[in-house]
Parts: sequence; C-alpha cells; structure tokens
Amino acid sequence: MNPFEKIFSYQLASRLEEQQIFTLTSQERSWLKLMLSSTAAELALDESTLNRLQQRLERDEVPSVHEVIVEKAASSQHTDFPELLIPLRRIMRKRQGVLLQRHNKYGQHMNPELGVPWKLEYSAARQEWYMYWFNLHRSAPMTTRLKHMYKVTEQSITKQQYDAVSQRMELHMQTERHEIAIQVLPIYNKELTRILHAFSCFDKRVRFDEQEQSYSIYVRFTNSEREYVLNRLRFLGKRVQIIEGDDFKQRMQDTALRALSRYGVTPVPVPDGDERSESNEQKWSESDALSTAATDSLHDEK
Amino acid sequence: MAKESFDKEIQFLRLLALTGDAFDRQQFAGRLGISVHTFDKTIRRLKELNGENDLTELFGYRYTDSAEPALMFLFRAKSMKESESRRLPILLTALQQQAHTASELLELCDEQLADYAAAPPDEKTIRSDLRYLEEIGVVRREPGGRPYRYRLNHDLIEQLSVDELLDLYEFVDVMAHTRIPSVQGYLLRDNLKIALRAAISETDWDDALLEPFCYRYHYEARILDEAHLSALLSMVEQQRYVSFQYYSPSRKRTYGARSTNPLFSSGQEQLRKRVLPARIIYDHQYGRWYLLGTLEGGRIVKFRMDGIVDIAGEEAVESTLFQERRARVDSKIRYSWLVDTGDMVKVKARFFKPDTQYDFIRERVAMQGQWGSITEEDETSFIFEIEVNGWVEIRPWLRSFGSSCEVLEPVGLRNSLIEEWKELAGYYESI
Repeated sequence: MNPFEKIFSYQLASRLEEQQIFTLTSQERSWLKLMLSSTAAELALDESTLNRLQQRLERDEVPSVHEVIVEKAASSQHTDFPELLIPLRRIMRKRQGVLLQRHNKYGQHMNPELGVPWKLEYSAARQEWYMYWFNLHRSAPMTTRLKHMYKVTEQSITKQQYDAVSQRMELHMQTERHEIAIQVLPIYNKELTRILHAFSCFDKRVRFDEQEQSYSIYVRFTNSEREYVLNRLRFLGKRVQIIEGDDFKQRMQDTALRALSRYGVTPVPVPDGDERSESNEQKWSESDALSTAATDSLHDEK
Repeated sequence: MAKESFDKEIQFLRLLALTGDAFDRQQFAGRLGISVHTFDKTIRRLKELNGENDLTELFGYRYTDSAEPALMFLFRAKSMKESESRRLPILLTALQQQAHTASELLELCDEQLADYAAAPPDEKTIRSDLRYLEEIGVVRREPGGRPYRYRLNHDLIEQLSVDELLDLYEFVDVMAHTRIPSVQGYLLRDNLKIALRAAISETDWDDALLEPFCYRYHYEARILDEAHLSALLSMVEQQRYVSFQYYSPSRKRTYGARSTNPLFSSGQEQLRKRVLPARIIYDHQYGRWYLLGTLEGGRIVKFRMDGIVDIAGEEAVESTLFQERRARVDSKIRYSWLVDTGDMVKVKARFFKPDTQYDFIRERVAMQGQWGSITEEDETSFIFEIEVNGWVEIRPWLRSFGSSCEVLEPVGLRNSLIEEWKELAGYYESI
C-alpha cells in the first residue's frame, strides 16, 4: 500500500491521461475490496455488479486497516451512506424531477412534494448528507437531510424546466460572504497548528506579524456557515479573540455572560441558550443543521 | 539508491495548507528548519508537479465547485527518468490493445522512439519494466508457456456497462471522501475518470458526471498523514519496532534538514524515538491521526502523526509480547474521549433545551456524546453523564455548546470553565 509508486507519478500519469489509458494497481484493487465489504456497497451498487466486482477481486488482499486503526469521535448515528443517495443521484444524472416523500425534523409526515434535486452535499462536521432542491409546489429552494426522506420517485420534467430551476439555484447559492478577523493570543502560539486546523475547512488567510509574534486569521463564510464559525470560536475558547466583526464580538460576549450566569457568577438573568439553530437564519431552509453541529476533540489543550 | 523520501514535501504542504501565504520565504524556511535555498528548490519542484499553478491557490474554498482533493499531487511526486516516462506509455498502450511478448514490445519501442535522442531500450530493460508492472498489479501474464505474453490487467471493470461504471465511480467518490484510508480511493477515482471518458461518447459526455457530490467542512490535510500509513500498517503486521524523528506540533520548527556535512552532524542529529506500535487512531471530526504504542520498558506513548518524520523499521518482537502490549493500549484507550490515557473521571453536565420546538441540542449531544448517556430529563434541560479518561479532551466539546451547557462535575472542570468564560467576557468588555 505504498502510495508513492512510480506508476502514480505526475510525469507518467499526464501522458497516460492524454492517451486515455488507465492503470489499476493491486493497492487500488485492495482498497476497493475493503470498501466493497462495507454495507454501503450494497446500497450503492446493483447486486449483480457487486457480485461481479467481488469475484474479480477474489485474489486480492484486504489491507489490515480494520485490525489496526481505531476511529474516534465518529457520530453515533453514522449515516455516511444513506439509502436514497444513489437513487437520487441516478435521477440527477438524467436531470429529472422527483416526487419526494419525507418527514420534517419533528418527525411529522409531509405530503408528497414535487421538486428538482440540484446538489447532494456531505457535511464532514455533522457526518450527514443534505440535498439542495427546488420545491415546485412552493416554488422555493430547500435543503433537506437525506435521513428525513423515505421515498423518491422520478418525475419527468423538460429541459427548459430544469434549466430554469438550475439558474435559480445558482443565483440562490451565490450568497453574500462575511469576513471576520481572529487573533491568536501570542501566549497560545504554541497551539497554533491546532487552532489553524480548526479553521482549515473555511476560506481563510493568515497574517503573521513578526514584531508582535502574533497571528491573525481572516475567515470568510456565508450566512449558512455563521453558526459553525461561532461553534469553532466557542470550541477554542480563550485562545482566540475576535478583532474584526462586531456582531460576532457581541455574540461571544453574550455567550460568556450567559454562561457565567448559568454558573451563578454574574447577576445577568438567564435568557435562552446562545447556541442558535440555523433555521432561524435561513428562512428558505428546511434544515437547521448545516452549521450548528460538530465537535472535535483536542487532546493537547492544557 | 537511497529511498526517495517525501517528508520535506509533506511538512511543507501542511504548513502551506494551514497558513497560506502568511510567511515570507525566510520565515517559512525558518519554521521548517531548512535554508532559503532549499525552500526555493522545494517550491520549484512542487510547482512543477502542480502544473506551474500558484500553490496558495490550491487551498481556496471551493467546496461547491469541486471535490478534487488538492493535496493529492503529493502522491504524484515520485520522480522518474525521462526515458522511462516515454517508454512506459508505449508499453501500456500496446498492452491495452492486445497481449504482447517482451520482444514484440521491444520492436514497438524501437519504432516509436526512433526520433528520441537517447539510445533505445534493450530487451533487459523491457523485461524489468514488465516485471515492475506485474509486481504492482497493472499487467498480468497470459496463461501459456514461453515466450510469455502480457496484457493490461483491466478485468475488474471490463464488461461493466456505462451505468455500472458510473455507479462504481460515485461509490468510489463517496468512500474516498468519507472513509479512511482515502489516498488509494482518490487514485482509483482518477483512473475511473479516464475509463468513463473512454466509455461515454463525446455527444453524451457531461462534465458534471465527474463531480457528483459536494463535501463541506472537509479536512483536506488528513491525506498528507496517510503517507506514513502503509509503512506503519506493515510494521504492526510484522510486529516490529519502528523508529522515527518526532517534532512535537507545539514546537516552532516542524522539519529539520538532515545535515549532509559529516563535520556538522554530531550534536545536530535529533534523538530518534523507538516505539512498538500498537494502534493508529483517526479522529473523525477533526481529520487528525495519532500513533499509539509502547516504549521498550512498556510505557504507553502517543504521537501526532503530523509530527512524525523519517520512519524506519526496527527489530520484530515475540507475538505474545506484541499482543500483551496491544491489549494494554486497548484497555487504556477504551474510555479516552480521544487518546487521553489518564485516570477515569465522571463528567456530569446539564444541557439546556432551546426555546424552539425542535431540540437540536439534545440531538447533537446524543449524536456526538460518544458512549455517554442522558440520565435525567425534564422540559427545560437534561443531564448528560460520561466516564472518560481525564476531562481535558472533552472540554472543548462542552465549551462549544456555550451557555447551553453547565458542567456540574467534576469541580475542577467546572471551575476551569468558569475561569475561561470570565476571561472571554473580559475580551469583549469594551463593546
């Protein structure tokens, strides 16, 4: 399983690609064999395809990954391969519509809805899948978790219909970006890598001031990512301070005071918890979950 | 020839991925512990591999545009002789069409490399190419006696229909992005792309087929650590000690150039760690890897994979010793929130329900609270309890709930959070 093989080298790979030649090494086959042993394979592939692939991999070895690697902090309702992912994708390949049967987040069944699926997205923070789609009944863009859907049926739509929806969705997704600046307190510079790591999944740039030995991180994000940025800030606690972004400063200030009042330390009356569900902010969205979730564990915090 | 090492490139790319263009050349080189000259050389080499694109652009935020793993080009960094990179495509093209013997291939090379300045290959070279390609599983020998005939080993996906190929491509795409390990999956994904191009006609082709899904909040740098994975996995399988240099991530420098001048080597050579590896831990929600093992005397030690450089295999141990050590590591990490092997404590926290009809706090606690449980519940709050090795690793998670969480036990954790919230309130006092 050494991934630094000559056959993968850029010099060779680019020539082969030009000539439309591909090569399959034993390590790629072994990896596939490992993945085909997961239940996800039964959901992703037709039985006959799966059988055929498994037969052809009979003589390949399965890497000892499961015997050695321990996975931590995976979410318990690990839904990284929902049943409807591939059926939806097959409809999307053909650019068709869908009759969607689902329940809402309170568990209530919804009437079947006619819509056009537009994008399927996996959130690594939440380990969950979402579908961005256009609801033709309500004429509105929606986001729905795949685990809330229980049946999808293909519905024929015209190319014009699809293109119109697609255009609206593109426009809708081009939302405004916000930027805040965060400073790493110099006494925590030794924890820099993990602090940067916490923001590595965002659009960010880092500035280093040699004289002050101080690092500032400029994070850019959309509205739907706001709550997750705040989650990261609370997660890192006193190691970082917001230096630009007044509404974020206010939110952190509120959080700290409310938390202290929970502990009976300040006389501020306790209002609601400060963690907000995203649904308050995305009126079009069915989902509350894109940004509120997620955690990490950092063993090196002292 | 010495084994080509990519330690420098890995550390380099990690620093670049995390900090972008925050440092000037001198600062960047200083942090890696290399000279500015080496810095320039490395950047030139990486740029070359990346098709002369600006490296910092690699790490822009493009989750809705593309699911291409930018750092994969590290694994395409293996160098190759120019003559070889011309010869192998000729062999592979020929072997894709039909089976050939070594001497037939030699003839083909003679024909096709006629204009090439360097001397044409001899039969010995072709035979060694075929041996290599057979060893890595790319070609196979056809049944029958000498002279042996070889062909490209494409059995796996031969005869798959276009729809089946698309299903397979999408399966590989999801698994490579969401499961570990990923690198081989990404390599396979690249190959399947070429297979799809060949299988689908120009008129039916749609670029969107290659980007079926989006992935958000993805920790791309996780694949850099997979560079060490195969070496470590095989050492564990062989029950051998490993040695390596370790740069604790809190140190200023992450990579030290090996001193090439023996006059200066004494005293500069870092002390190598020597460890019997037991487990590799992957932290899902953070995309980070750890190595856990034991020292000679049996003490359990933990390393962040991103601080490990220059791994070498050492001697094997008795299987019973290996098993005994591993069982001890396993029992020590059973209650680690992540990798803490400290004393077990019971953490008890009250979580306050939101004012909305939908209780996303409870959902999040149930989903992410690992083996902890919700013990009491009323209309406004619930109690979460968990026994963990030390509370340091769980603290950031609890803190991320802000004022929706009040830690009740242990008192040390409760007090540390009170102090921290006080400090944070002080940061923003003036607003």
